[in-house]
Amino acid sequence: MAEIAELIQMTNTHFCLDCGVCTGSCPVARVFSDFSPRQIIEKCLYGIEDLSDENIWNCLTCAQCSVRCPANINFPEFIRLMRDEAYSKGYSGTLTHNGMLHTIWSLQTKGITQNRTFWIGDGKTSEKGDVFYFVGCRPYFDVIFRDINAGSIENCKNILKILNASGIEPVVSNDERCCGHDALWNGDEETFKKLAEINIEIIKASGAKKVVFNCPEGYLTFRDFYPRYFGDLGFEPVHIIDFLTEKIADGALELSEFPEVVTYHDPCRLGRLSGIFDPPRELIKSIPGIELREMPRSRENSVCCGTSGWINCSNCSKEIQVQRLSEASATGASTLVTACPKCQIHFRCAKSAFDLDIEIVDLYDLISEHLK
Amino acid sequence: MAKELVGILGINQDRLRLEWVSSAEGARFAELATEFTEQIKKLGPSRLKQAA
Ligand code: SF4
Ligand code: SF4
Repeated sequence: MAEIAELIQMTNTHFCLDCGVCTGSCPVARVFSDFSPRQIIEKCLYGIEDLSDENIWNCLTCAQCSVRCPANINFPEFIRLMRDEAYSKGYSGTLTHNGMLHTIWSLQTKGITQNRTFWIGDGKTSEKGDVFYFVGCRPYFDVIFRDINAGSIENCKNILKILNASGIEPVVSNDERCCGHDALWNGDEETFKKLAEINIEIIKASGAKKVVFNCPEGYLTFRDFYPRYFGDLGFEPVHIIDFLTEKIADGALELSEFPEVVTYHDPCRLGRLSGIFDPPRELIKSIPGIELREMPRSRENSVCCGTSGWINCSNCSKEIQVQRLSEASATGASTLVTACPKCQIHFRCAKSAFDLDIEIVDLYDLISEHLK
Repeated sequence: MAKELVGILGINQDRLRLEWVSSAEGARFAELATEFTEQIKKLGPSRLKQAA
């Protein structure tokens, strides 16, 4: 186990110029003045930071600071490593939803037989094949977030409909586990590794060469973190968005008219962390009659949806969400389009609590509804 | 909701029981605890335990 001083060396955090751009950019610091990435770094550099500091868990790991940092300091990664240390010493963030999601992914590290494919209906899937659709935690979200109508499983049905309409009958596995994204960012590396091992094994056994994702967290975790821990996976993670833009450009899929003004929210895992900014915009614009209006904070400057890893949801999170939904409304758009199941959940939660007047729609639901 | 989640996880739903008992109902609490213990004993060890 590394001490903070070692982490600083590993991540070159000592290159910090003390300029404060990170804190000036941070959505949490703007609302909650006790939180400052610059100050955390400074305390670490002076050797006065302590792993019991609750602020370690207040960071959203959204990378708004790191894309702007003149010294190229990857603060979210530094925080992730600090959390590894803190977690191993018994500290953790404040678990949201009574730790329900943490319990679910912990149980998934065991040899259980789930019942998670109930949603497939008349969609076409295969036992084995070249393409695997990684569903993610949605069968569980569907139950947990039913009260805020977060519609998670409809979204999976729609992805399957899109794949089927393109002639693909993907493998959907009843043995799939959580990708481990949240365990990883919560400092629980052990659980992350167990979940990842099971997923890799299941995908290999299915014979798949490509694994399709629509959840940006799953995609990022498979693309950037699985190889870091497990080397060459023997299959390629593919984002549904690349697949879709190709199919629409080819004319293989056609879309019907939707005369609405919409705006688009870049999820941090899809935009800043995976570098996917243009494809969702192209996809929206390929719907005839639609008008896309950008919010002032978009692309690299998009703001996080307010909580991550199912920890530390607070009035600070709600403030960030309400500000974001108001920003979306102010463009004159009737609908905010997102492309992440969790952004969807967090924004819908804020919308239901504050009775805000804006529709929140998932990009792939929108596309699927307008498939000709 | 908890029952549904347990079902998706593939854990026998009979292993979970939610009851609301007030502090004035000591006898009812004892009765429920005994009854539930019997039920779990009948189900035997969970697969989770065997797989762990
Ligand atoms: S933006 Fe970068 S260099 Fe500036 S204070 Fe923050 S971490 Fe240090
Ligand atoms: S990653 Fe996001 S929440 Fe964390 S310090 Fe940077 S800007 Fe703030």
